[in-house]
Amino acid sequence: MPGKSSFSVIPLIAILLPWISLVVILAVPKGSRRVRLWVCFLGSLATLGVVLSLLPGILDGNSYTIKLASVVEGLEMRLTVDTLGYYFGLVLSFLWMLATLYSISYIDHKENRFFAFMAMCESFLLGAAFASNMFTYFIFYELMTFGSYPLIIHEETAMARRAGYKYLVYAISAGTVLFFAIVAHYFWSGGDLSFQELGTLSLASASRGILMTIFFTYLAGFGVKAAIMPLHGWVPDAHPAAPSPASALLSGVILKAGAFGIIRVVFFVFGIDLMRQLSLFTVMAVLACITIVVASVFALTQDNLKRRLAYSSIGQVSYIILGLSMLTQDGALGGMMHLAHHAIMKGCLFLCAGVILVKTGKKKISEMRGIGYQLPITMICFSVCALAMMGTPPSVGFISKWLLGSGALEAGLPVYIVILLVSALLSAAYFLPIIYIAFFRWEGDEVEGGQKPKLVFGKEADHKLIVPVVILAVLTVVVGIWVTVPGFPYSLVTKIVNVIF
Amino acid sequence: MGAYRHFPVLMITIPMLGAVLLPFLGYLRKRWVATATLLPLAVSAVLGLLLIGRIPADGYLSYELGSWTPHFGIEIRVDYLGLFMMLIVCGISLLALVFSMRYIEREVEGPKLTAFYVLFLLLSAAMLGFTATGDIFNLFVFMEILALSSYALVAVAGNRNAVRAAFKYLLMGAPSSIMVLLAIGFLYSVTGSLNMADLSTRIAESSYSEVLIVAYILFVIGFGVKAALFPMHMWLPDAHSIAPSPVSAMLSGLLVEVSAFAIIRVTFSVFGSGAENLIGGTVDALGIFAAAAVLFGGIMAIIQKDLKMMIAYSTISHIGYIFLGITAFTAEGLAGAMYHVLDHGLAKACLFLCAGSFIYVKGYRRIDDLKGAWRQMPWTCFAFAVASISVIGVPPTAGFISKWYLILGNIEAGNYFYVFVLLSGSILAAVYCFRVIYYMFFQPPKEGAWESRTNEASPSMLAPIWILSFGTLFFGVFSYLLIPSLLKAAAFLL
Repeated sequence: MPGKSSFSVIPLIAILLPWISLVVILAVPKGSRRVRLWVCFLGSLATLGVVLSLLPGILDGNSYTIKLASVVEGLEMRLTVDTLGYYFGLVLSFLWMLATLYSISYIDHKENRFFAFMAMCESFLLGAAFASNMFTYFIFYELMTFGSYPLIIHEETAMARRAGYKYLVYAISAGTVLFFAIVAHYFWSGGDLSFQELGTLSLASASRGILMTIFFTYLAGFGVKAAIMPLHGWVPDAHPAAPSPASALLSGVILKAGAFGIIRVVFFVFGIDLMRQLSLFTVMAVLACITIVVASVFALTQDNLKRRLAYSSIGQVSYIILGLSMLTQDGALGGMMHLAHHAIMKGCLFLCAGVILVKTGKKKISEMRGIGYQLPITMICFSVCALAMMGTPPSVGFISKWLLGSGALEAGLPVYIVILLVSALLSAAYFLPIIYIAFFRWEGDEVEGGQKPKLVFGKEADHKLIVPVVILAVLTVVVGIWVTVPGFPYSLVTKIVNVIF
Repeated sequence: MGAYRHFPVLMITIPMLGAVLLPFLGYLRKRWVATATLLPLAVSAVLGLLLIGRIPADGYLSYELGSWTPHFGIEIRVDYLGLFMMLIVCGISLLALVFSMRYIEREVEGPKLTAFYVLFLLLSAAMLGFTATGDIFNLFVFMEILALSSYALVAVAGNRNAVRAAFKYLLMGAPSSIMVLLAIGFLYSVTGSLNMADLSTRIAESSYSEVLIVAYILFVIGFGVKAALFPMHMWLPDAHSIAPSPVSAMLSGLLVEVSAFAIIRVTFSVFGSGAENLIGGTVDALGIFAAAAVLFGGIMAIIQKDLKMMIAYSTISHIGYIFLGITAFTAEGLAGAMYHVLDHGLAKACLFLCAGSFIYVKGYRRIDDLKGAWRQMPWTCFAFAVASISVIGVPPTAGFISKWYLILGNIEAGNYFYVFVLLSGSILAAVYCFRVIYYMFFQPPKEGAWESRTNEASPSMLAPIWILSFGTLFFGVFSYLLIPSLLKAAAFLL
């Protein structure tokens, strides 16, 4: 039963709340660091609270809408919280809250700039999640793109600058391609960019070639953010260069903004029927499969931990794309649930990498021998998430893989299962050595009778760093076991899938 | 028939009269000259604002000078687009003037100060008349006034470079004026009329198609030089970078746009309604030059080391945008071109004024010197960043909206190559703008460049800068105030 759509200012409040941080920073740029940054955190916490307050209504199938501005009739900036938008908004505001908490103790210089742009990006990304049409989505998406630049170059090292430059080159080119796609979409759909009905484009309104052009420009435009190969070049540079909370957000939600755009394009702009008619799904599937396998192979060869995680993210985001391209219920379910699942797992892994960096200064996996004894809680959480990434039950990773596999069978293409298994094997090959090195090796173990280190718990006393890591690791398991709890990904994504199919 | 019928002509004559009287005031009370210059422009602006809503998007307000009926007398004809242009002219002139009140004493001294204000007022008045006139000979007269005053304004600093740049401008400008005059002569010889509305009906009936084509080409070249359309742009980089910054803002933010608007007038109001097929070939050629301008201007802007030079080349690129909107020959394209006039006027004026305040405070002209500038001049730098973002066309600035309609218009016209050019143009813009932004915000200052405590530019300089940069955001978000009417007016004109 479709719910009712009603006017509400709550979406607007949600995207304005992160600006509390900005106001505080502008008002007392040199005030007490503690108070200032904790207020920033409260801003993101309040945002999460406001987003959560919409949950009951969304679960009833309602949607909330508010018009911000318009250009002409039909071309307007409007926020509409539908189930899909809400789902993404919930994931991102949750992860953002944890990353902000984490940053309070992680960021040690220029914290004003970092927190200000963090908050701005959250606001823009929420706007993108709640966007009612492609026009609004594009506006917030571009703002978020430029807003995340200062996060990437925050360290201001030569490497960070180079990564930031690469990011901008990719992002601006992608934005331009996307811009063309949207204007063409606007023209050939007769001025309808809305997400509120399924399939605004059809073969009746435009020729096959034009529809293909629109689709591929969309795919290329969003594919840069979603890191579909060969458009992934900025990802492996940006992640290690950015501070860890920023990498967690990059991997956890900013890459997903691209995938989210593709979800909108596939299901809401083109619609399943048109996707089938144009056989566009095969191209998507092939690209996704290539990305999954090749990125995993690349991940194997990386010694820098965050770089390895970045390659892993490239592969994992393509799970979402693969799920969509199956055009089956379970495939879409698995793909879209993976959006949240991967955000939880990869968020945790990057935050763990950050803890390692702060506490020991180590970036390379080969240097991390015995690190599990120095940082037991962190490395246990890391191991939990790494195992989940491989698809070990009971965890979120297992659920997504299961659903994707079932979707592949539904689509009659068991070859996707082979790809998924290969990917699981490869992720085992690049994650297990880290766990092995952390717990089963230690300094001086080459020599017979080397002293095995003792577990040290004291070093991780910094709660602001550890709490987010633990929360995410626990969620990895909890969401994987109690899948159907209302508010967890399954409850929301099934609603979306029911609407689409 | 209310009193507002007289407003358009008053908007032109009051500043004109002011320019005539100003020298006397300069002789008597020199200190009051700057303030006295503001007054007539402000009156014009208020009159223009009062006209808002009185001119429908698909109509016009006609005024017969001396009650001589057109086509014998001179007609002032203000339609929606005309009023739109006049308001932009009033607004940006006022802001540039406020900025000059403090700035200009650095570059122009002594007796020439009065001359500067007189010329400034004359330039504004001429631009107002240029956009409002319904008589094509009158168009020429106003064009001469604005051309002469702008030559003098470029040279006003009086140093060697300024004179050379002004002379270069004059060398290109004077023949272009002759061409316009020649074109008017041709038109008069075959139609016997000088009134634009009258001309358009007579052209449709005329059988002298060769003469008409030549006349149109001469118009395009003549106004094209003033609009700095590639490849007639050679005067612009020197003139814009050497002139005092408020003058650069006027030239780049208004003069080139007003000249482009003259081409819109000639194309759509004079030739458009009866002779589209006659001018079709020329319009196509214009499109090619415009596309070349977008790319050439963008690439040249990237390799510049001088900030004002970079902004000047960016103007050449953006004039190409406006012309691509015109040559699409669709309502969306034309509306995009007009919106780009607004957006580009605001953004470019803002950029030049920012460049001016860097020169005023620190004397820095090179882009390299701006490394780390935001620590000392945050307000100027933020305004610069906002205006640059509008130049690139990033949402939600006005540049985004105008680019949207320019591309939409070209898709509608089926000119996919121009769509590609427009998109490449914004990538080029991103390259040259982000370089400056990156230097300002993310680079450590050069040794000794920004170490001593520097004061931010004074409030009277910052206020215009901030109003302009805020304007680019305002018209991006509240584009519904203008776009529907512009689309309607453009459709009416086509």
